[in-house]
Amino acid sequence: MTVSTTNTVPVPPGLVIAPQLPDLLAAVEIRRGVLGFLRNHPVVAIGGALLLCLVLIGIFAPYLGTVDPTALAPAKRTRAPSADFWFGTDALGRDIYSRVLYGARVSLTVGLSVALLASLAGLAIGLVAGFVRWADGILMRFMDGLMSIPPILLAVALMALTRGSVGNVILAITVAEVPRVTRLVRSVVLSLREQPYVDAAIASGTRTPMIILRHILPNTLAPMLVQATYICASAMIVESILSFIGAGTPPTIPSWGNIMAEGRALWQVKPYIVFFPAVFLSVTVLAVNLLGDGLRDALDPRMAKSL
Amino acid sequence: MDRRTLLKAIAGAGSLAATGGLSMPALSQGAAARTLRFVPQANLANFDPVWGTQYVVRNAAAMVWDTLYGLDATLQPQRQMVESEEVTDDGLTWTFRLRPGLKFHDGEPVLAKDVVASLARWSVRDPMGQMIKAIQNELTAVDDKTFKWVLKQPYPKMMLALGKNSTPCAFIMPERMAQTDPFKQITEYVGSGPMKFAKGEWVPGAKAVFEKFSDYVPRQEKASWLAGGKQMLIDRVEWVVIPDPATAAAALQNGEIDWWENPIPDLVPVLRKNRNISVDIADPLGNIGAFRMNHLHPPFNDVKARRAVLTALSQEDYMRALVGDDNALWKPLPGFFTPDTPLYTEEGGEILKGKRDVAAAKKLLAESGYTNQPVTCVVAQDQPITKAQGDVTADLLKKIGMNVDFVATDWGTVGSRRAQKTPPGQGGWQMFHTWHAGADCISPAAYNAIRGNGDKAWFGWPTSETVEKEVTAWFDAKNIDEEKAAVKRLNKAALEDVIYAPTGFFLSYTAWRKNVSGVTKGPLPFFWGVSKTA
Amino acid sequence: MVSYIFRRILSTMPVMAIVALFVFSLLYIAPGDPAAVIAGDQASPADVERIRQALGLDRPFLVQFGDWVWRILHGDLGTSIFTNLPVSSLIAQRLEPTLSLMAITLVLTILVAVPLGVVAAWKAGSLVDRTIMAFAVFGFSLPVFVVGYILAYLFALQFDWLPVQGYTPLAEGLWPWLEHLILPALALGCVYIALIARITRAAMLEVLQQDYVRTARAKGLGQGSILFVHALKNAAVPIVTVIGIGIALLIGGAVVTESVFAIPGLGRLTIDAILRRDYPVIQGIVLLFSFLYVLVNLMVDVTYTLVDPRIRY
Repeated sequence: MTVSTTNTVPVPPGLVIAPQLPDLLAAVEIRRGVLGFLRNHPVVAIGGALLLCLVLIGIFAPYLGTVDPTALAPAKRTRAPSADFWFGTDALGRDIYSRVLYGARVSLTVGLSVALLASLAGLAIGLVAGFVRWADGILMRFMDGLMSIPPILLAVALMALTRGSVGNVILAITVAEVPRVTRLVRSVVLSLREQPYVDAAIASGTRTPMIILRHILPNTLAPMLVQATYICASAMIVESILSFIGAGTPPTIPSWGNIMAEGRALWQVKPYIVFFPAVFLSVTVLAVNLLGDGLRDALDPRMAKSL
Repeated sequence: MDRRTLLKAIAGAGSLAATGGLSMPALSQGAAARTLRFVPQANLANFDPVWGTQYVVRNAAAMVWDTLYGLDATLQPQRQMVESEEVTDDGLTWTFRLRPGLKFHDGEPVLAKDVVASLARWSVRDPMGQMIKAIQNELTAVDDKTFKWVLKQPYPKMMLALGKNSTPCAFIMPERMAQTDPFKQITEYVGSGPMKFAKGEWVPGAKAVFEKFSDYVPRQEKASWLAGGKQMLIDRVEWVVIPDPATAAAALQNGEIDWWENPIPDLVPVLRKNRNISVDIADPLGNIGAFRMNHLHPPFNDVKARRAVLTALSQEDYMRALVGDDNALWKPLPGFFTPDTPLYTEEGGEILKGKRDVAAAKKLLAESGYTNQPVTCVVAQDQPITKAQGDVTADLLKKIGMNVDFVATDWGTVGSRRAQKTPPGQGGWQMFHTWHAGADCISPAAYNAIRGNGDKAWFGWPTSETVEKEVTAWFDAKNIDEEKAAVKRLNKAALEDVIYAPTGFFLSYTAWRKNVSGVTKGPLPFFWGVSKTA
Repeated sequence: MVSYIFRRILSTMPVMAIVALFVFSLLYIAPGDPAAVIAGDQASPADVERIRQALGLDRPFLVQFGDWVWRILHGDLGTSIFTNLPVSSLIAQRLEPTLSLMAITLVLTILVAVPLGVVAAWKAGSLVDRTIMAFAVFGFSLPVFVVGYILAYLFALQFDWLPVQGYTPLAEGLWPWLEHLILPALALGCVYIALIARITRAAMLEVLQQDYVRTARAKGLGQGSILFVHALKNAAVPIVTVIGIGIALLIGGAVVTESVFAIPGLGRLTIDAILRRDYPVIQGIVLLFSFLYVLVNLMVDVTYTLVDPRIRY
């Protein structure tokens, strides 16, 4: 801040006006808005951009030089990458490039849906469990029970009851992830509940739903958002594991998980079948994790030690 | 000394010192040479070969129990436990005499009453056994070494029934075990064969151990499949279950296992390159891939729709999907019987030969009155053979313009769903995939899948009077020429009515380390005559 | 506090009962039962029905469930449909390999991850920090089986330092037991190492900025002593919490690792039983798991109170 040197006010005797000092610190540009946020936190920007890229690839897959991902050509099976087949062909002669690009849709859908659904469910249950004491015991025991059901059992049972599908995979993984979110939300709520301002709110007669909405909820959103990104990443990996045991998405719907699972026996001799979906999967998971880390650091660095 | 052994020695010395010598030393070289580590085709989940009829159970049981007759490499039943047999001129009374020296693993001699009880149990579950039981007057032990089977009608294929290798085989167990209800499992595993089952070391799903039975008296003749002298040249066989094929390949290359029953074809080139590994065809009788259509409900209740599918079906696509690029591993199969066997025929197989005609298939489909209703195709994802076939089928049906309802599920579900006769919209099905061991398709004898007796037929419930007539003709045939003629007519009729759709004939390899010798080709892995040097 | 623990232990009963009922119902509704698989391809529907009756699978739902509960209360987990062996002995056989795998994984993970996290925190912002964190994130970007294959290929096939597959019980020697578990533990631990390294780093960062650390430094204590003796002890809390939660991850990943490395553990038993519909085995394992989870979660919750006095029950 500079001080004007032209006197507009008569200076009382005995007072001295300090001389203008040079600026030691550079002017801080206060960045506002989303763009400002992104420039402040490059990690979020990078993660988000990568993720956006992959989502776009999934959406525009038909226009990116792909063919029908389910078109078989057993006579041309397991060919190495070439001009015709950019990523090679799999054990049934299907073009891996097309399958990987279309697979982006499925894997991202699974990841994002699971993250969303598990977060919503976990948020609801966790809030109630953390805040309403008498419900805490019952709900958390129920969560314990839920965690002890192997997700594989659920996935195979769902598959047997109906058929292998993206929906069943999402359902099975969501059920497995909800307890994690619930525990997180509950632990945040438990520590927040003891804060002075919450006590004050209770003392001043605010009703419970209002307290949850006004005081607790905003504070849980930040860690929840971060946790959601981790769940998204984890769900995509779990999907590939379900494909590994044969309870994942059916082969007529390619996903990175089932491309890897189908090609895994051959990986010593034809590594490209596993390589390309693995690269895409790890880049996506990386992007999502960077996003999560960046958000966490941006929103509240102290969250780091609880996540 | 290689790095592994050096590291082991150092660590071993260290741990020995650390634990005060409590750890047991690793198997000495000599002992290792008499243990054969084998990777079976599947997990040995149970061990009653009459109650549970999976191939892997039969393969293990063949070591532990002996049979009265045994099929040899020329597909003829030869005497095994039986010393002599007599059949009366009218074909109604069979009298068998057991050879001397037969013992069970608990030291008791094998007596005729044990045989009678074992056959009684077996004939409840086995198709040929059931046929014999239906015409049986009595099955009794005449004395300790002789028993007889008295029938109401002649059954010329008796010895084949008692010596065949298709499941369930007529294994001979002690009377007390054989008296178990055939729909319940036996609880002990006392056998009559050259190897004992080490029940205490069994980790179901992971490991099964068999030890040489030193009191087994093998026959004098040379061993040939299930016939001849079963000489055990190794003391111990360990079955190690390795579910992941890439791991099994690595373990074979590393010397951690000695013999891998069926390596996947894509990994065979890597194994072949390895100086220490031999690879060869496992079973010249191979397998027949198949899918079955439901004859009870539309669209496949109309033969035109079924023939439409056959017209467009490319066996090469199916076989490549199953065995890859190796042409030595598959043959086209315009029929239902195993190639290179006496009864093989291509009669009526034109529909499967030649260039595939998708246009003609579409026309046939339209003629059958197909109105784009969904075709429910149930595909088991956890069996590689059905999974690969399922993918090809989905593509095939789409090509001829059918609306595919692809149900990806597991083998357990397919097993029970295929038994449903309800319409597809209500939990039924229109198509499922399977495969048959070539050894089971050499003749109509135990070939349930070729029958066309409607409600009593195998899943899909095909009805074909001609097929049934020819099956009876084969059973009544008096010589090989009559048999061949009957089978020719049967093949033609079966293709015309499309009892099921054969997707081709395929073989598989088996791989073993070069320090193991005596591995022979056959419908199951034979452990007699196999030896190992250090 | 004691009453809380007591109430929690009591409440495990209804939890396990609900889980058992849920799983039982799920299996009952799901199509496909073992009878068809057992009867084999050649069996007639009548045969399949006979087997189903012999196994007691045709009885009404409540009768079957009641029978099973009655046996459980008498300590009998039932008999496996396929192997005809008691479920408890099947589980006991498979317990040692799985527990060994998890123990080694845990030890390996802590030995690798904690120092990595500490170093990353110490050198926060530098290239070392970024590299470590990049590796950490990469650690859980790949599915376990891909990591497992790569490790097996490199260290077992190419370099021949370790075996490719299998498991040797501890009773047969320390080194054989260890050498079969190192690669699987590494594969399984990748995810875990990533998680714990990150948490360690974050917790350490917070602690390193505290006044008492500055005091220690001013006093002239060595860097190592500060890092590991003073800072780490205080940062240990969230690390321990994550370890508790991560046991769930381990059990999931163990299934795949056991398949890839052919370890005869509980994970593989579960999959095999599920795919074959071996009901008594599935129910027995789920019961065991639910008991374990309840125990682990109880310990984690108790640790919360020890650690953060603000949390009261």
